[in-house]
Amino acid sequence: MEQHLEEMKRRVRDGEHNRWRQDSVPDVLAECEAEGLSWVRRAARLTRRMCEAERPVIEPDERIVFTRTLRTIPPVYSPADWAARTAGRTVHELGCVNNICADWGMILSQGLLGRRQVALESRQRLADQPEVVEFLDAAVETIDAVLGLAARYAHEARELGRLDVAALLERVPAHPAKTFHEALQALRVVHAVLWLSGHYQNAFGRLDQYLWPYLEADLRAGRLDSAGAQALLAEFFIASNKDADLYPGVQKGDNGQTLVLGGVRPDGTCGVNGLTRLALRAALEVSMIDPKINLRIDPGTDLDLLSLASELTRKGLGFPQYSNDAVVIPGLVAHGYDLADARDYVMAACWEFIIPGKGMEVVNTGAVSFPAAVDRGLREALPAGGDFQAVLEGTRQDVRRQVERVVGDYRRLILPPAPYYSIMLDGCLEQGRDASEGLKYNNFGIHGAASANAADALAAVRKLVFEEQSIDRATLLRALDANWEGYEPLRCRLAEEGPRVGNDDDAADELLVKLFGYLAQACDAAGDNGRGGRVRPGTGSAMYYVWLARGNPGMREPVVGATAEGRRVGDLFGANLAPAQGVRVRGPISTLRSFSKIDYQRICNGGPITLELSDAVFRDAESISKVAMLVRTFAQVGCQQLQVNTVNLETLLDAKAHPERHKNLIVRVWGWSGYFCELAPEYQDHIIARQMHTMV
Amino acid sequence: MLTGIVFDVKEFAIHDGPGIRTTVFLKGCPLHCAWCHNPEGISPKPQVLHAPSGDRVAGTVYTPAELAWILNAQADIMRANEGGVTFSGGEPLRQARFVAATARLLRGMHILLDTSGYATKGDLRLVVALCDMVYYDLKLIDPAQHRRYTGYDNAPILHNFHVLGGLGVPYVVRVPLIPGVTDTDDNLAAIAATVRGAPGLLRVDLLPYNHVAGGKYAAAGMTFAPPYDEARPLNINTAVFTEAGVPVHVA
Ligand code: SF4
Repeated sequence: MEQHLEEMKRRVRDGEHNRWRQDSVPDVLAECEAEGLSWVRRAARLTRRMCEAERPVIEPDERIVFTRTLRTIPPVYSPADWAARTAGRTVHELGCVNNICADWGMILSQGLLGRRQVALESRQRLADQPEVVEFLDAAVETIDAVLGLAARYAHEARELGRLDVAALLERVPAHPAKTFHEALQALRVVHAVLWLSGHYQNAFGRLDQYLWPYLEADLRAGRLDSAGAQALLAEFFIASNKDADLYPGVQKGDNGQTLVLGGVRPDGTCGVNGLTRLALRAALEVSMIDPKINLRIDPGTDLDLLSLASELTRKGLGFPQYSNDAVVIPGLVAHGYDLADARDYVMAACWEFIIPGKGMEVVNTGAVSFPAAVDRGLREALPAGGDFQAVLEGTRQDVRRQVERVVGDYRRLILPPAPYYSIMLDGCLEQGRDASEGLKYNNFGIHGAASANAADALAAVRKLVFEEQSIDRATLLRALDANWEGYEPLRCRLAEEGPRVGNDDDAADELLVKLFGYLAQACDAAGDNGRGGRVRPGTGSAMYYVWLARGNPGMREPVVGATAEGRRVGDLFGANLAPAQGVRVRGPISTLRSFSKIDYQRICNGGPITLELSDAVFRDAESISKVAMLVRTFAQVGCQQLQVNTVNLETLLDAKAHPERHKNLIVRVWGWSGYFCELAPEYQDHIIARQMHTMV
Repeated sequence: MLTGIVFDVKEFAIHDGPGIRTTVFLKGCPLHCAWCHNPEGISPKPQVLHAPSGDRVAGTVYTPAELAWILNAQADIMRANEGGVTFSGGEPLRQARFVAATARLLRGMHILLDTSGYATKGDLRLVVALCDMVYYDLKLIDPAQHRRYTGYDNAPILHNFHVLGGLGVPYVVRVPLIPGVTDTDDNLAAIAATVRGAPGLLRVDLLPYNHVAGGKYAAAGMTFAPPYDEARPLNINTAVFTEAGVPVHVA
């Protein structure tokens, strides 16, 4: 990476830009109260005051500017007012519109002035509808606020003699971008103001699609070469890490700044272009946690591209995450999406599929705890003398109850107006309708969590309690209640002798497929979600692999105790699609084959298979191409989504402290690889030391 | 009924041959190398490993059909990715009839034998005839040294090496670099002289010693007492091979 970019990255890592941060934020609430503003006007006022309060910061080496100086987002309602306004309603997370993706192509190609014009035309056309007029006025207020902010940046740049920066900001984001550089600058400002307006998990979408026309024109005209373009993009990526510590989120880095590369275009042709590779290379150079790269592939994606992506995996950042177009697109169509829209899908904060500009979806309304459902099935069927079918039936009914509980709550969802987001979402300004009231797609998503544990529990019970009848029903229930205390041999038998998901063993995988079938049924049965959409079931777990095991204040989902696959109270579940913690499998091919059995036409809210590979796997070019083959195999066997993690220091330390959770963790030991947890402690320490060494 | 004993089947064995492949680790080895990193591969009997992650039995008995069924389930994937199956160990030739019978049942996959060469000529021929590639270990050329560090004479290994050259199957010679033992200039030069001009030789792979070699001994209830200084810097002398016109690669 160029020297000045290294330096820029260092500054961001060291938080040097913190010195520009202001100590106070504008008191928006007071003026909202004094003026008695409506909700939508309050939202617009927030955007406006935040933009006005921002102080321009232009570092001498920056070519893409904007540094956030306001630390927090002030409220626009007093707590009491907020409580009254939301009484009897369901507030999603922090409340405001989040976790969707703007139509970035539209905003860049029309410019804010273009959007403003659209708003004014609609205002004239719909002048007899006061609510519409109010919304459009609010939207225009936010546009003017951003234009004002850009003008102050341009002015500051002139003062500093940075005529290049001044020229950029005098053109964008007001006017349609003409160059790649202008497009990146416009994106930076417009995106940052989303965060300033209180929105979060603001996705970048298909950057290689919407920015390629600008780059292609630059390359053609000889204004820019690909090295120059990569340097600009790298700077943009570094900038997207700048304000990350101010973003709300469960953990730092979990901020939903996802970016999608590759995949087919809306017309079905291959969308991989020069920018796809350039963006992967820029991300590789920058090696920071934002933006989070998703790569859309299909069974025919070439190994060159996958090898480049695997280089990124090797860095141990946890991306790219892969999605298989051949599975995702038909799945979305089966869920009512138009084909052209389905082909344009992107990822929300984690993995959920959303359509940029057209989706006001709430993809993470909650989770179904499969282990809790199985537990209920066992507790109903076993004492009553029921057969295994009865256990399954009880499980199925509980899955349905859990879906109903979450969806029932979310039918009362209240979303605050989002006039600023609305300017960059399809049809809002055209129809005078705030995005919070709905867009073309308004589905909910629900996670089907801890599926491998639950299938393992069913498989163990089927084998040992029903088929072999070597474990007594009442004893099993007593052992679960006692958290296995006094029943250790029984626990070991259930854990060791039962078939397990992840090993391509139909005896377990078939039950996994059944569980997801129950989930799909329950979501279908839930029908309309109250917002003109439906409920999409998924395979992710998000943080629920912890919460469903240990609980979390305020969560709706049930917490389960000890479970029949031999898990103790409080032990964590497997995250997303992965063998349950502590299960030893033959390897990643079997794991992919296990999870390829799920019917992804019905299970389409995303949720990746998670494979962990040692960093030593990535030692040379030949091994990288094998990882690329593994990724291609993922697509070829018909799986939906994949995360490949390189084992990093944290994992190793956790593996040392909790070996039972990492039985499959592989480390390289000269001409061979071994299971980390089977090495004696001193050798584990050695590998950890080696890892520390490679980190510096 | 013919059966074999296997201590692990591991998929996506990146370093065990070309493409995506699965390695079958056959249990039992006639040698006792001081640096052996698979102590559970030495005894031909099932044994319990007491690992920090819990106990597990190493050693599963399969018929050739059972093992081939597991491997064939992924034959399409292996073939599509230029890979196949590696038989390693322990010493796979100790169970040559089982390995051969299994290999005959595999559906069109690339087969690689990873051997110490300590076997009968007949067993070597039997298995190599079914293979597409061989990884052949050469550790020490001096017979006394070989006896000292592996417990046995290397005459069969050196003899079989010449047999291998006549079988028409390409092979890689693999040399574990043990500090002060196998990495001496003398030994490496002797290996270079042995392999120089050998028909069918693809290259020599030097495998640098890694300090976690003894990691699994405790789990296997054994003690690791290397009769050499593990901390001694390695002598990675590729020049002796290059000068002899032998392609060499440090793995
Ligand atoms: S030949 Fe290999 S398996 Fe056998 S003792 Fe030596 S190192 Fe161990």
